[in-house]
Amino acid sequence: MCDSCGCDLASNNHSHDTDSRIIEVHQSLLAANDAMAARNKAHFEAMGAVAINMISSPGSGKTTLLEKTIERLKKKIRIGVIEGDIETDRDAQRIRAKGVPVIQLTTGGACHLDAAQVHKGIHLLEKEPGGARLDLLFIENVGNLVCPATFDLGEHQRVVLVSVPEGPDKPAKYPKAFISSQIFLITKTDLLPYFDFPVTEARREALHLNPRLQVMALSATSGEGFEAWISYLEGLTGKTRKDNFPPLLSQS
Amino acid sequence: MHEMSLVQALLTQLTSLAAEHDKKKVITVTLTIGPLSGVVIDSFQFGFDILSAESNLTKGARLIITSPTVSYHCVRCGSIQTAAMRPDHCPECSETLLIAEGGDAIILNQVEME
Repeated sequence: MCDSCGCDLASNNHSHDTDSRIIEVHQSLLAANDAMAARNKAHFEAMGAVAINMISSPGSGKTTLLEKTIERLKKKIRIGVIEGDIETDRDAQRIRAKGVPVIQLTTGGACHLDAAQVHKGIHLLEKEPGGARLDLLFIENVGNLVCPATFDLGEHQRVVLVSVPEGPDKPAKYPKAFISSQIFLITKTDLLPYFDFPVTEARREALHLNPRLQVMALSATSGEGFEAWISYLEGLTGKTRKDNFPPLLSQS
Repeated sequence: MHEMSLVQALLTQLTSLAAEHDKKKVITVTLTIGPLSGVVIDSFQFGFDILSAESNLTKGARLIITSPTVSYHCVRCGSIQTAAMRPDHCPECSETLLIAEGGDAIILNQVEME
């Protein structure tokens, strides 16, 4: 019996403040985000779309890659884009010029997109001409290799990009983005002659963190390595490639 | 600084827990933040100190954060290492491809309120 209060607990090592109470929760702080992400995923699938969350530092070439990808695939794959930035709709303007449905989310300071923002984005995109039925939906996250990695948006695939000028040590320094992604894209390989960027080292560092990661290296400018990326996207949408592609650079 | 967003998620959760249990004051909050969660614990604590002071419910509340170890599963021999830092290779067979399991959780375990 407890000496202090006479209750039937064996020890007196418990609170005697009757108003104080310990509540067991055991729930992820991301539970609300994850629940919304699950809804987003169902929504993407209802639209017919495979959703890809693109994560990288600012300036690693996400928007340029999307421009070139759209030029290449828009005739046979319905593509939509949700752009995330802290300020401005410049990226959305660039994508809109390529003739596919796009909306811009501005976070007003927040360093990442979360599932609730993307949920709003989906509804806005559906109001754009051609935005309601898609094969492929790209979500270009806020340029940041750290924070976006923590937030599931409901995407089917996560792609992390590192450009050659950034250096090969990014996987080791920013592990979460690489652990949580399926694809690691090394971009701007046309600059390899000018930078000390051993591709094998970057690949090894990334695979060390995540052995399941698929690594591709490409240049959106020269077109080098672009075929593997295009084949991967076609594979995701289940649309097999046709023989007579327009050459990559002819439309630019 | 996505830690601020996570602190906001925590405070929202605390507010609804207090309403649900008819409590007015949060005393302690116990969390698990895994080393692979991408969350810097000092930044989380900093964000909590600032944002918790804005409401009477959470003002002065104490944060207790534990960080679990991670298990590394060898893809070749299947042995499992538990370590705070990622091992360079498997100590059993020297394989360098090790898959991390656990350690990415951000969990609210327990709240003491009155």
